[in-house]
Amino acid sequence: MTLTPEIIALLMLDALFLFFSFIAFVISVRIYLKWDSSSFSPLQYGLEKQSYLVGVVIKYIFFLKLPLFLFYVYTCDKLSNIITGAMCASGVVNSVDFGLYLMVFKILNLYLFGFWLLLHQVDLKDEKQSFTKLKFLLFAIFFIFLLSEIILEVSFFASLNISKIVSCCGTLFSATSSSYISLLFKIDSAVLVGLFYGCFVLMVVAYFLKNSPIFIVSNGLFLFFSIASLIIFFSTYVYELPTHNCPFCLLQKEYYGVGYVMYISLFMGTFYGFCGGVLQRVSQIVMPHYALISIVSNTFYVAIVSLYPIVYRLHNGVWL
Amino acid sequence: MKSKINIFLMEYAINSLLRRGGKNIFILLIFTLLVFLLSSALFISESIKLELNSVVKQLPQITLQRFQAGRQVDVPTSRVDKLILIEGIQSVVPRVWGYYYFKVAGVNFSVVGVDAFEEQYTKQLQDIIDKTDISVFKQDNSMLVGSGVRRVLDENYYKDFFNFVTHDGKWKRLNIAGVFNSDVSLEANDMILISKKSAYEIFGMDKTMATDIVVKVSNPTEIPMIVSKINELYPDMRTITQDDIRVSYQNIFDYKSGFFLALFVVCAFTFFIIIYDKASGLSSEEKKEIGILKAVGWRMDDIIKEKFYESFILSFCAFLLGLVLALFFVYGLQAPLLRDVFIGYSQLKPPFNLPFNVDFAHMILLFLLSVPVYIASTIIPSWKASTLDADEVMR
Repeated sequence: MTLTPEIIALLMLDALFLFFSFIAFVISVRIYLKWDSSSFSPLQYGLEKQSYLVGVVIKYIFFLKLPLFLFYVYTCDKLSNIITGAMCASGVVNSVDFGLYLMVFKILNLYLFGFWLLLHQVDLKDEKQSFTKLKFLLFAIFFIFLLSEIILEVSFFASLNISKIVSCCGTLFSATSSSYISLLFKIDSAVLVGLFYGCFVLMVVAYFLKNSPIFIVSNGLFLFFSIASLIIFFSTYVYELPTHNCPFCLLQKEYYGVGYVMYISLFMGTFYGFCGGVLQRVSQIVMPHYALISIVSNTFYVAIVSLYPIVYRLHNGVWL
Repeated sequence: MKSKINIFLMEYAINSLLRRGGKNIFILLIFTLLVFLLSSALFISESIKLELNSVVKQLPQITLQRFQAGRQVDVPTSRVDKLILIEGIQSVVPRVWGYYYFKVAGVNFSVVGVDAFEEQYTKQLQDIIDKTDISVFKQDNSMLVGSGVRRVLDENYYKDFFNFVTHDGKWKRLNIAGVFNSDVSLEANDMILISKKSAYEIFGMDKTMATDIVVKVSNPTEIPMIVSKINELYPDMRTITQDDIRVSYQNIFDYKSGFFLALFVVCAFTFFIIIYDKASGLSSEEKKEIGILKAVGWRMDDIIKEKFYESFILSFCAFLLGLVLALFFVYGLQAPLLRDVFIGYSQLKPPFNLPFNVDFAHMILLFLLSVPVYIASTIIPSWKASTLDADEVMR
């Protein structure tokens, strides 16, 4: 275990999150079990007051988690300096067996908490507060995800071993590795890129047709194929190296930290597309601005990602 | 999720902070002090790390030490001829050096024996040798000293020579032939360069031995391979590569600042509880204020938001203030008192400047360590305040 200042900061904030989310969890369970909006009892009155606290706590956690996610990636990147063999964050993340799950949980929780806040806002505007029970049930479920993330994170930092030699991204993201990432390499990159653009076109069409089910599905697929095609195809053009397929090195300053811009726009786009869409289905209220934010961010992502191969082609006259 | 900043609410929050000036200034001061201490510690350790890393770059690629029964012993120079035969090794230089304890001033000098006709193992050393007259080392009765050594000798009235006490108790008089300043003062400050012959004499070493051996490799990517070959040839030799040293430096300083931070976390949580307590105990006037606000139509959300603005403004001001103070303290005043915690045991304290090494990531780290803790401590109290009923408190 190493305690660098960054790790201490992350662990300290985790402790705060755990404390507050636990309070919110207890309140949520109580509200879910005892909520009765037609009642005038002191209990109901107290619960209504407490529901505000949960809202504030989740807002606090979410708005800290956003920068904290980037900070976590940055920390992993920095740790790669001291861990033998690691050259970027991917080596550090994969130095522990469950490192990748932690990453997935972190991203998933951002989506879940963001969705919860959207729902919360709709609920507050609704005079009958018809989503209150649903909202608190959801939080009680999300709490388990948050809890697993925190447990994973603590054990991740606890089991980081400086003297253990880890693999660098060059071997992790290649066809020779035995992990399931290597399965991606079995697919022809042209197919993946085709699917990526296909999803994007489908999304644009769904946006203009205002067909929310297709919009939601295409956003979900778009997220998956974006990451897959980024690893297989687009990253090689950023690095201008046909053998380098790493989604983490993009974040380093050698590539002007372009990864931060890419991931922020991709996650924002798919978040508003997916969660905004689901919310629309649940609440039956039309919220066109979410879809607009989604389509703009996703287009922005596609533009950046496509620019790299095009510029490369124009410069060198060949494809990689 | 859409949270627009409400300017009027912000203005109200600032005025509310000013109205309760006494209480808030106290919190501001304590919080500023905490941020100041924390950021000073971080800045100092980061800039020492930068300084050491620039030293590491000049160190030999591989250093070989011989170990016998777990302790470092001298290496026979005959091993040099065998080592040079390994493919990929560009040069092998046996070094003769050690520490000389100068009892009167209570300091350790690093005494390095050099042969002017050899290629030196660091660029820095080569520069010093190139600049001086080679006859200094040929005559065997003179030496070059670092500026820190010069100062200590001056204070003890050794103006132009110094008497070394050799291992058998005799005096060895060496004249100061020159003083060198180095751009990296951390290591050169306490250095004395003498000829190899004098070094053997002072340390009482066998002339067929060397303190350690440094190896230069033409292609740095071959270092791990060469290290494994050396280990096979001489299992009693420990190989230290540049990378090993860099990693251990980073570990030491991460550990030191981590230790400091661990103390800080304790402080932060104490502070958390104090603030929680302070914010929970609302005066009757504050209660009345909230009652009136509710009566004029403020919702719970508005009151929570206003309280959030208050705590954010307060903690952010303290954060900025603490940061600026720390920057001034560390880089302006060169961190008196605190830097000794980090520099450690060296008796001959080199007067080096802390180089400026602050980037955006450090700011974010400091921000994450301070502001969220404060805001967290006000969440529950401000929620409690907002749940007060208008009619109850105004009655």
